[in-house]
Amino acid sequence: MKETRSTISLNKVTKEFLLGDGSVFTALKEINLDIKEGEFSAITGPSGSGKSTLMHMIGLLDRPTRGGVIINGRDVSKLDDNATSFLRNEFVGFVFQQFNLLNKLTIKENILLPTTYTRKRLSYDPSERAEYLMDMFGILSKKDQYPNKVSGGQQQRVAVARALIMRPQLILADEPTGNLDHKTGTEIIDLFEELNKKEGITIIMVTHEMEVAERARRQIRVLDGEIVSDKK
Amino acid sequence: MKILSGTQQLFKSAFADFRRDKVRTALTSLGIMIGVLSVVLLIALGLGLKNYIEGQFESLGANLLMVLPGSGFTGEGGGGFGGQGIVGGAQFDEKDVRDLSRLSGIKYLTPVVFKSSLVQANGEEKAGYVMGANEDFFGLMSYKILSGDLWGKTEVGNRSKVAVLGYNLADDLFDKPADGLGKTLRVSGIRLKVVGVIKKTGDNEQDRSVVIPYTTTFGSLNPSKTFFSIYLGVESKDEVEAVSSAAEKILLRRYDEDEFAMTELSEILSTVNSIFGIINVVLMAIGSISLIVGGIGIMNIMYATVTERTREVGIRRAIGATKRDILLQFMTESVLLSFLGGAVGLLLAAGIVLLVRIWFPVALNLTAVLVAFGVSSAIGIFFGVFPAKKAADLSPIEAIRYE
Repeated sequence: MKETRSTISLNKVTKEFLLGDGSVFTALKEINLDIKEGEFSAITGPSGSGKSTLMHMIGLLDRPTRGGVIINGRDVSKLDDNATSFLRNEFVGFVFQQFNLLNKLTIKENILLPTTYTRKRLSYDPSERAEYLMDMFGILSKKDQYPNKVSGGQQQRVAVARALIMRPQLILADEPTGNLDHKTGTEIIDLFEELNKKEGITIIMVTHEMEVAERARRQIRVLDGEIVSDKK
Repeated sequence: MKILSGTQQLFKSAFADFRRDKVRTALTSLGIMIGVLSVVLLIALGLGLKNYIEGQFESLGANLLMVLPGSGFTGEGGGGFGGQGIVGGAQFDEKDVRDLSRLSGIKYLTPVVFKSSLVQANGEEKAGYVMGANEDFFGLMSYKILSGDLWGKTEVGNRSKVAVLGYNLADDLFDKPADGLGKTLRVSGIRLKVVGVIKKTGDNEQDRSVVIPYTTTFGSLNPSKTFFSIYLGVESKDEVEAVSSAAEKILLRRYDEDEFAMTELSEILSTVNSIFGIINVVLMAIGSISLIVGGIGIMNIMYATVTERTREVGIRRAIGATKRDILLQFMTESVLLSFLGGAVGLLLAAGIVLLVRIWFPVALNLTAVLVAFGVSSAIGIFFGVFPAKKAADLSPIEAIRYE
């Protein structure tokens, strides 16, 4: 596996928030970070450390105040809303702590939802890919059920399938085990490990559970808006 | 399963949301439904009234030309014998009728004596209208006989005391309208024999008329032997203008310009049309108020929906929906709500119109339908755009964190 190519790089990214009293809070301080293709990384840190803000930068959900976010050699931090939305759609797949599935859509429709927002012609049949992913994750029999009718572990598998439907270069998981019991949480991390090893998918998890973070091959620790350690 | 197109996806998502809360969906659409219903019904009513009055005029024949004293229909021309006393108004006589009979292009020509009077018969006394005319009057008014016969030229020549009775008056005086045939009426001391009863025309004046030869009025009824009006039936519609000016020329030899007026029925019709045009606009304006209220109802609910679905917006934005996608999603819902409400309102209105038609000639027209649909969709867009904009402008991070 070649590890030379960068999937995403942060170049001196600073994020400041204007607080209600007029003062400025710096959530991220000139962060430099390079995520290589095929890496399995965990971002850790206590609450308020800036790890969520860092995730928002990587996930293109927010823009840096200063600095650049480089994807495939291109600075995307100045792109307009449309272009950023397309990148979120194609480049990154999100997995959230709260699963964030739409309960009014069936499981299969939830998985297919990102494909309804794509602007490019897909080289594969989305429906076939959705069924393939559901089969791989053992939820194919639930495809016509609604998310609130299945277990938490199954919901998180649906969320992972949804994140993978667009064949993104990066999976970004925010506390993926936070709402699951220990056993189910371990199963989800097993799934990530398998996807990373077998399919070579780049994965970044944000977590505060050390046990979960240790399963990743790279641990990035954030504290007070700075990266304090980066172990491979 | 093939991937759904963007529009299909929007509709599917909208209907999925409607299904989730059917009661709210129905109540939200109700405002627009009532609005469209009232607009369409009011327009149908206005059109019905207009058609009804037009029909009344058309039964008189659109080729009718009336010579009236004074300045005509729009002036103070009414009033029967009393009207003949108007200072400066012409008092037409038999010479005028003879002069006008030389005109070419006329099919009917009759002097008209008009008097409202009490009619006695069969021990009853009812109000009616005595009309003195010649035999052309029946053709001009397209009278249809119910029983007996119409009187003719001979009766006019002989000053016969014969009468043709209108349906409603005959109905009031006798057990059955047809029973009037052969009976004797007393009008202002004159005894008249009923030779015919006509079918119902729908025109109140005609249905309460006692039509007698104009020569018969030349006694106590009309000692001056003058006429209230002269009616001309023109052969074709295209000649009305020409005949009117030719007749005017003839009459100008005897009378001043301001002593008489030529009145065409089409002129009256256009006046009636313009009045109803205004009434229709006013009715539509009143109906539109309820449409606007309905639109505000939709806006209200859509604002609530946006807040309720903040998290959904966040999820959709995170997986790649643009602001425009979110805007379209919410707009689709409000336009659909409004449009569906409009469609139901229209169907109800059509049902009511069909039912009311049994008693009154209300009418639906394409304009009313298009206006109703257009306006209800426009309201959906107008009142939907503000909540949809609010949804689209939600920050993805804030939205996804929203509990």
